[in-house]
Amino acid sequence: MKLNRHLVRTSVVIAATALVLTGCRSSSSDEDSGAGPGISDEACPDAVNPDNGCISLGVISDLTKGPFAPLAVPITDAQKAFWKKVNEDGGVGGYDIDIASNIADAEYNPEIHNRKYQEMRKDILALGQTLGSSQTLAILEDMKDDDVLGLPASWNSAWEFEDQILESGANYCFEAMNGVDWAVANRGVTGKVIAVGYPGDYGGDAAAGVEAAAKANDLEFEKIETPTGQDNQAGAVAAILKAKPDLVVVTTGPAEMATIVGGTAAQGFTGTFVGSSPTWNPALLKSPAAPALEALFFQAGPWGPFGTDTPGHEAMRTALGDVTPNDGYTAGWTWSYPLLAALKKADEDGGITRESLVAAASELTEVDYEGILPPEAGATQGDPADVAYRSSVISKVDPAAPTGVSIEQDLTTGPTAEAYDFSKPCFSLQ
Amino acid sequence: MTDFFQALVNGFGQGSIYALLALGYVMIYKATRVISFAQPALMVVGGLFSYHFTSELGLNFWVGMVLGIVCGALVGMLVERIALRPMLGKPVFTLAIITIGVDIVLRIVSNRYIGVQSRIIEYPGGNERFSIGDVSISHQRLGLIAVTAVTVAALALFFQYSRTGLAMRATALDQETALAQGIRVGAVFALAWAIAGGLAAIAGTFVATGNAGIEQTSWIIALKALPAIIIGGLDSVQGAVVGGLAVGIVEALTATFQPDVAPWLGANFALVAPYALMFVVLLVRPYGLFGTREVERV
Amino acid sequence: MSSRLRGRPLVRTSYAQDMALLNTPAKRRSTIAIVIASFLVPFLVTDDLLLVLTLGMISAVGAIGLNLVTGYAGQVSLGHAFFIGLGAYTGAVLGGDPDAAVTGYGLPIYVWLPAAGLVAAVAGLLVGPIAVRLRGLYLAIVTLGLVFLGDHIFREARDLTGGPGVGRRGPDLVVFGIDMGESGVVLGLDLAREQRQFLMALVFLIVFAVLARNIARSGVGRAFSAIRDRDVAAAVIGVDLTRYKVMAFAMSSFFAGVTGALYYAVVGVFEPSAFGLLLSVQYLAMILIGGVATISGAIMGAIFISSLGRISGEIAHVLPFISESSGTDGLLSVFQLEAILYGVLIIVFLIFEPRGLFGIWTRIRNYWKGWPFSY
Repeated sequence: MKLNRHLVRTSVVIAATALVLTGCRSSSSDEDSGAGPGISDEACPDAVNPDNGCISLGVISDLTKGPFAPLAVPITDAQKAFWKKVNEDGGVGGYDIDIASNIADAEYNPEIHNRKYQEMRKDILALGQTLGSSQTLAILEDMKDDDVLGLPASWNSAWEFEDQILESGANYCFEAMNGVDWAVANRGVTGKVIAVGYPGDYGGDAAAGVEAAAKANDLEFEKIETPTGQDNQAGAVAAILKAKPDLVVVTTGPAEMATIVGGTAAQGFTGTFVGSSPTWNPALLKSPAAPALEALFFQAGPWGPFGTDTPGHEAMRTALGDVTPNDGYTAGWTWSYPLLAALKKADEDGGITRESLVAAASELTEVDYEGILPPEAGATQGDPADVAYRSSVISKVDPAAPTGVSIEQDLTTGPTAEAYDFSKPCFSLQ
Repeated sequence: MTDFFQALVNGFGQGSIYALLALGYVMIYKATRVISFAQPALMVVGGLFSYHFTSELGLNFWVGMVLGIVCGALVGMLVERIALRPMLGKPVFTLAIITIGVDIVLRIVSNRYIGVQSRIIEYPGGNERFSIGDVSISHQRLGLIAVTAVTVAALALFFQYSRTGLAMRATALDQETALAQGIRVGAVFALAWAIAGGLAAIAGTFVATGNAGIEQTSWIIALKALPAIIIGGLDSVQGAVVGGLAVGIVEALTATFQPDVAPWLGANFALVAPYALMFVVLLVRPYGLFGTREVERV
Repeated sequence: MSSRLRGRPLVRTSYAQDMALLNTPAKRRSTIAIVIASFLVPFLVTDDLLLVLTLGMISAVGAIGLNLVTGYAGQVSLGHAFFIGLGAYTGAVLGGDPDAAVTGYGLPIYVWLPAAGLVAAVAGLLVGPIAVRLRGLYLAIVTLGLVFLGDHIFREARDLTGGPGVGRRGPDLVVFGIDMGESGVVLGLDLAREQRQFLMALVFLIVFAVLARNIARSGVGRAFSAIRDRDVAAAVIGVDLTRYKVMAFAMSSFFAGVTGALYYAVVGVFEPSAFGLLLSVQYLAMILIGGVATISGAIMGAIFISSLGRISGEIAHVLPFISESSGTDGLLSVFQLEAILYGVLIIVFLIFEPRGLFGIWTRIRNYWKGWPFSY
């Protein structure tokens, strides 16, 4: 008992001391000896180029407990690999980029997201990743006050209208429209289309796109909201079986999608399923729903999957080395290109600071995606209605491909997306 | 009408999983008077063991499942021995919070194993379905119902006729008297946790054979067994089974019919339906359908 | 009033002295010292740590509320998250921005804060009668059902809550004309936003802690303790079970309501999934780790649990065998270690000190009381 008492007392004292020591307010703030916060002339820790200065990027993601942890971990890893390769190529403007020192796990919780941002806001130049819409909204005001640019880990149409946020790839709204257009042209869809998705901005954005495409293609439209959880899809399955549509656009996670497709197919449903980019997981090839997925499921995505043959994909595969293929890597890698382009532009325009980076980010006319997307896809200068990228890739299930899907139709803008008046977000976040 | 029967059949299948988990909760409660919030983790861990034996090591499904059950039981016993044995006699809610801590730890470790994939076990017999008229059920669900029935029957026989079962019943009734009679109460606790771990492993295995497999968020399924144990009665084995099946069936029926019949309840009321059923049952019988009424003594 | 004997501080000459809030000189002096020290903390500690402590102090009020119903009155409630959510949304709707997409009335704090408490208290009044009929774990799981019901309601009421995944902003924090969301000069001092919020939370905590302490040492508090110890016996001696159990729930819900409103005013943006089982369990852990049936224990527990994320992060970064990567190399990533430490610290604490932080404090106090004869 004596040992326990000492143990408890010592551990409490250690914990309290740790908290106190890290928390002491320093009256003389040790500012970075450089152009400003997040950028310093000293080399990064474990620097690739020891003569370069250091730019710090922050990442606030969901790495353990939240619902997106399975995807967020490869996204973050791909981003680390991306910036490591940038450093190996010499860095930007005489600076190496350090993303690994400021990675925080916010557990998909807006409050923790906010807290982690407060902890890192003085140390970073920009946020290489901020995951979650309400989470990003929780810190958006502070980001604007700090002039910190952020890259979202999602494809919401609302981000096109936010100068503080630098997104890439067609958003869920256009993606859904392209999915519907493709299905009408290639799968003989004529009668009814149902949009099944999570409540909130993820499902809502896509549902708005499906509705617009349904109107343009003269289809009946119905929207069904379904919660997360593979055991909570009975309602969606029943509703689909009752309505008997020709097309179902699914905007959920992979487990829910597999349950819906498997559940409806088992009862004889033969309509087409088009899922948004986060609905596929290669492990689903082993599920009982696999035959139904192969026959009926297609994935609409912002770019080609992991195994696609482009210089950018190849660079990514080389940089990552031997990993289980997963399109989280593709997303993390591709999202980082515009930030690189903005950094280079800020450097050309007279030096990299938070303000110049934010300014550069909204003045891009093209981004070198190394073939993953065409250069004009990254343009941000101008009205979102003119510059927003509207093309999507349609992939089919292919057991031989590294991530289980391969391209059925390469980047195309469907007629609905082409003609859509994009003057405000498809699903408003505020 | 076919919708009704199909929903009934689906609910029966899903309810079997809840029944297995509810049985686990009840086992632990009967022996130790503690609600163990570690069942979700035990379900995931047990399912992952089965996955490892069948899909990674290539064993036969049934052999792999039995090995998974054994491993799940061992993990349950370890948890009891390490985290709960030192806390005997402490207030019940302290123990419950400790089981939550254990749940968090076990789940994080299993998430490491699960990684980015869903872990899916292929059930032998693939995707065939067995149909009567328009109502069909997959072989996998039939297997689940059969295994649950066998397990429940085996447990009932164990408690009724074996010495150890008798010892467990005695301990559940009165720990002190059981000790006085020479029953090793500590061993009974360990056995209760082992049984709960094994039951959770069966549930986990069948979750892994489903359309979506076991992934990092699958543990939430086990929380649905909590209203099941209240409906059935916290200390009743048959109550756990009835409660689990009731929750499964109510959930399936609500999911199928509520959007048409009572849309004002909101979308996806099926998530709350088990709790609504629980409220209704408790209004009538405050100790659940089969629970023993507590005698209040001064 | 009675006189205090000089030189004999512990001699009590009246009932009022005995039952006083701070009835020994040591308590008086240490309370004053702690309060003064707390007011100095904002000037000594960094802003991000201040945020952690601010949130800890606000949730301490919620923990005190849960302690009233679970620690003092013995009615185990897993539904605390529901009342916190009710309070948060009432506050947000009444105090929120009228121009946003979700409903907001822009009312000042002296309307939305009490209203949040009152709405939650009314809900507590409705739940109270259930407590009379159910006991122990049945009550606990039924209150858990409340949380799920609340989750459903919050998700469906899109106009009020913004819906899942999107959420809404909390109410604007403007107290006595001072905007707690801004940094700048106030009353002659240059205070950053976190410093203002800390001081506001400190005042809030002091007010409600004194209120709860007074409840606990009044007749109502004694009735609660009687019910906790043996409610049948309490009924025999004339304690009206229904009345006091309902009162316990209503009071604890009031505390939960004001906590929710203020907490999410500080956090900023929040969404319906915040009010789930995990939040209820966190508050339960706060009072168990802090020490049941003690107000100061609840405060200590709340601050400890709120800083646990920060503490486990610091420890995780220090331990050598953990890889810094978030990926698949290394035994565990640093974030998974952080999450595990959260669980492990709770377990270890409860195993080694089941009376919680208050028990540790009692030991320390008794050691020094008896020093140098502490054996």
